[in-house]
Amino acid sequence: MAVNYVPSTLDEALLLRKDRKAIPLAGGTDIMVQGKRGLGLAPQLDRPVMIISHLKDELGGIRKDEDGSVVIGAIATAAEIASSDIVPWHVRMAASGMGAIALRNSATIGGNIGNASPKGDLPQPLILLDAEVVLISFDGERRMLLDDFIKGSKTTDLHDDEIIASIVIPPHEFTYSYYRKIGMRKANAISKLSLSAAATIKDGLVVDFRASSGAAGPKVIRSREAESMIIRRPVEDIEGIVPDFLEAWDHAISPHAMPRYRRNTTSRMLTRFLEAIVNGEPEGIVR
Amino acid sequence: MPLTGIDDKVVRVDAEAKARGEARYVSDYVLPDMLYACMVRSSVPRARITGIHLPELPEGYYFISAKDIPENGRNELWMIAKDWRCFADGDVRYVGETIGLLVGKDRNILRYLQDNTRIDYEEGVPAVTIDDAIALKGGPIVGEDNVMCSLFCEKGRPMKDVFNEADSVFEETIETGFQEHVHLETNGALITEEDGRYVIYASAQCPFYIRKSVAGLLGISPEDIIIRQTTTGGAFGGKEHFPDVLCGPLLVAESVIHKPIKLIFDRSEDMLYSVKRHPSKTIFRTALDKEGNILGIEGTIYYNCGAYLSASYVVLQRGVFHANGVYDFPATYLKGVGVATNTFPSDAFRGFGAPQTLFAIETHLDHIARRFGFDPAEYKSRYFIKKGGETVTNGHIIEEVKLPEMLSRLAEASDYYRKAEEYGIGSGRGIGISFYNHGGAFTGNGEQAIIKAHARLVKEGKRVRIEVGSTEMGQGFQTALRKIAANTLGIEMEDVDYPNPDTSLVPDSGPTAASRSTMIVGKIVEECAKEMKERWDEGDFSVEKEYVHPEGHPWDQDTFRGDAYLGYGWGAAVVEVEVDRITNEVNTVGIWSCHDIGHAIDELIVHGQVNGGIIQSLGYAAMEKMENRNGHFRQESMSDYVIPTSMDFPKQEWSLVDNPYQWGPQGAKGMGELVFNGADAAYVDAVERALGITVTKIPIPPEDIEEALENA
Amino acid sequence: MHRQIEFRVNGNKVVYSGDPLTRLVDVLRDDLRLTGVKEGCGEGECGACSIIKDGRLVTSCIIPVGACLGSDILTIEGIRDTEKGRCIVEAFRDGGAVQCGFCIPGMVMAAYVLLSSNPAPTDEEIRVAISGNICRCTGYDLIVESIRLAAERGGALWQ
Repeated sequence: MAVNYVPSTLDEALLLRKDRKAIPLAGGTDIMVQGKRGLGLAPQLDRPVMIISHLKDELGGIRKDEDGSVVIGAIATAAEIASSDIVPWHVRMAASGMGAIALRNSATIGGNIGNASPKGDLPQPLILLDAEVVLISFDGERRMLLDDFIKGSKTTDLHDDEIIASIVIPPHEFTYSYYRKIGMRKANAISKLSLSAAATIKDGLVVDFRASSGAAGPKVIRSREAESMIIRRPVEDIEGIVPDFLEAWDHAISPHAMPRYRRNTTSRMLTRFLEAIVNGEPEGIVR
Repeated sequence: MPLTGIDDKVVRVDAEAKARGEARYVSDYVLPDMLYACMVRSSVPRARITGIHLPELPEGYYFISAKDIPENGRNELWMIAKDWRCFADGDVRYVGETIGLLVGKDRNILRYLQDNTRIDYEEGVPAVTIDDAIALKGGPIVGEDNVMCSLFCEKGRPMKDVFNEADSVFEETIETGFQEHVHLETNGALITEEDGRYVIYASAQCPFYIRKSVAGLLGISPEDIIIRQTTTGGAFGGKEHFPDVLCGPLLVAESVIHKPIKLIFDRSEDMLYSVKRHPSKTIFRTALDKEGNILGIEGTIYYNCGAYLSASYVVLQRGVFHANGVYDFPATYLKGVGVATNTFPSDAFRGFGAPQTLFAIETHLDHIARRFGFDPAEYKSRYFIKKGGETVTNGHIIEEVKLPEMLSRLAEASDYYRKAEEYGIGSGRGIGISFYNHGGAFTGNGEQAIIKAHARLVKEGKRVRIEVGSTEMGQGFQTALRKIAANTLGIEMEDVDYPNPDTSLVPDSGPTAASRSTMIVGKIVEECAKEMKERWDEGDFSVEKEYVHPEGHPWDQDTFRGDAYLGYGWGAAVVEVEVDRITNEVNTVGIWSCHDIGHAIDELIVHGQVNGGIIQSLGYAAMEKMENRNGHFRQESMSDYVIPTSMDFPKQEWSLVDNPYQWGPQGAKGMGELVFNGADAAYVDAVERALGITVTKIPIPPEDIEEALENA
Repeated sequence: MHRQIEFRVNGNKVVYSGDPLTRLVDVLRDDLRLTGVKEGCGEGECGACSIIKDGRLVTSCIIPVGACLGSDILTIEGIRDTEKGRCIVEAFRDGGAVQCGFCIPGMVMAAYVLLSSNPAPTDEEIRVAISGNICRCTGYDLIVESIRLAAERGGALWQ
């Protein structure tokens, strides 16, 4: 039976990580369910768990760096993220749609990323925004794109001695933004499908275009290949590209269950977003 | 002027203790030296057991199974049928069948023992769906044809003649899925011994059912067992017979161990290993003339009963008796077939078989109406049954039917006709309507022939105690019954007590089910109170009475002919939706309902029942998907089997028509199930109209709407 | 390393020295006998076990006790006899919010947190605030009305 810990400091946590491969628990909303054993029984995992929810000075907080990047501490909760003015819109939307209030008060961004569930709410907009994850260990710090960090369903590149320290979202400005989560019901629901999209138009040219699909494959899907079909093209060309783009995106996603629904809805959402660009709708949020 | 007026606004007697967290549910009980129990269940749907391998049991730990049933006992739970075994013995017939009970002090050790118990199986091929059962997949489970029960009802001219004269015949198959009760309190029970008698504390609707069901396990009489109902955190039928499945093994364990033993299911156990609403498949063939008038309807109704019959025959009967909806068709031939499958036995769930066929007939009529270009409400109203109209069981409607008035009130409140015209078909907005009823109390002469309910009032000083076996499970009966008694006696409600039943202290009032409590038990209490009032000055005394069935309403339970129900609750609902064309998400923007429940005993309680029943029905139609693959339920938590939250549906508008019932207390009829029976069809009608699709199966989450759109 | 977890429950100091992964709901119900906290799902999905931790609503079935270091925990037992708690309980009673009652203590906690930060919520805000508290009986309308009633009756209490 694994022994579980409450380290007093970040160094103790890193040591537990290195020596015992302890699993970090910040909010517990995933781990407590994964290890659930029934009424009156403490959850158990195959490895020790270390509770780090109190290491707020080291691992919490949300700030904006001088270069405009937003740094979100790993144990920042969904509620904190949802109510922060400096967090980009896509991420705030996803955070505010995570579970219900009580869950958002516990669930953390580090946990949501580390769990790497295809249905996780936060990775999808973070990957859209080219967010990086900062990993720390006694050997120092490692940074990588979140898109590379999450390797597949429930698998990440986290080394056995590392802890997720923070997420860094580079600055960006979009002309159009889109976010949609379809849950199993209107609130307090796991994602059935989600999509983020963003585009920047300058002088009639689409200079940035990106999209990311959640719950449509083993991990969040971004297709740079499909995106490149639209980037640096004049707005008036887009309408003609839409069918090929949708086909390319459809190839990129690989929904397992409800494939028809997930594919068709993804296409309809992307169509709606592109339609806003084509029609030159007012800048801002596309609904 | 009585001190407690029947229309007075009163406060629910159980509300404050519950809101303060002081009410004691069974999981809150702790007795000295108490042990815990957990179940060892089958992990395969159909197999011969070839070996049971237990880890070594530490001192004070027990494995209780069929071997522990004494020689004079029988391994059966007597529900309505006696076929459900307490412990699987030799073979298993569904996933989750009880094989044994592990009992001991430490739940950690129990969990270890449970995880390390291995059962060897020689597996067969399971039949899971109605179609599997009909095709005899894996060989028959019961008899030669997998038919567990069947019946038919015939009204009007022979269907052969009707079909011969028809201009067209419209045939369609309508299906409904499993539904899980999700009472917020999971199932649980606690057994102990007092003065040589077994005492069971249980979260249960029907304490007397439990005692009858389990006594045979030990070959003792029901009176040797005391059942004490604990505050029950929701039931909806899920705690009508199912508590027997917990209490049976506990009783056998107690006879061996003689210490308090508690068994509480966690949510995933309650989700995976408990009874569900019967999935159904109804095939209607409707004979129509050139103008679209209905000449007759033939219906074949299949219910998936699961692995044991238990209460299914009665559920099926109610399904058949409600398959004509609220209508008087010239001819009907309705056949019900309950089939056996290797799934968890299906059982009671609010509506008890009626919701499935009511959904089917309402949806079928919508499709016919649209096919001929009629508004569904107008079309259906042509066939509204009236007082004196012949029912499918060749009986008659005894009461005034106020459906026309209900329709006009509802249409006005919801602006139905204008919206129906304006939204049309396929505009993305839709308004739907449905009509439904629910026969009150046990079918036919069941109350008189089978139940023989008793109730007792005991006067002590100026206080009066109600002694009945009926239970409060959230529906408000403790309040309603005290109100009836106080009003009849002309005293304050505060002077009337009604404790949770203890079977050693109260008479058997029959089960708390079938929307019968207010109508039947309330009536007996009212009769007792009348007598008590007359004799009020006699000092302390008690009055006990048995239910008296009104004369002149014959019923033949062998042929299912006669007056199936003396009084019905009647309902109509309108639902308005907007559907997101991109995601198929349905936004319900309005819900209106109108019900005839006789005369309401307490409007605030009725309000809560109407709201709750309608939301459960909308959940059934919209989102509550419980799938079974190869005998295993796929939804095992409240995150993958979702029920409505506060955000999913808007505030409801509701109304009642007053239609006092001649045999009910203060004119009241049953209403607990009625309010579940129809909003599903109104919702589906609204979604169909919004998108121009045809739905023949519920639930319809967005992915199923996608399928319907592709088929449109 | 913290070998003991110290925190406060309804104002009383609690020192826990067992497995830090022990579910808070089990500590509250089994060790402290605060059985007004109900367990409905064990996965943080139903809200029946809702408690207030450092001013925020959380579900105690998925909070490990080790995450309560230095926390202030309030359960239904800790608020029911306060002026605010009584206000909500009585509004629930009078407004017809209670049926089977199993979800209600958690619902009262959610209402308490809502009204403490938003003394005059709209119906929509009330619905959002209780969207993590599942009720199978009421269809929510009377719960929403009761919370509004508590806001109206409480008045200055919530300011």
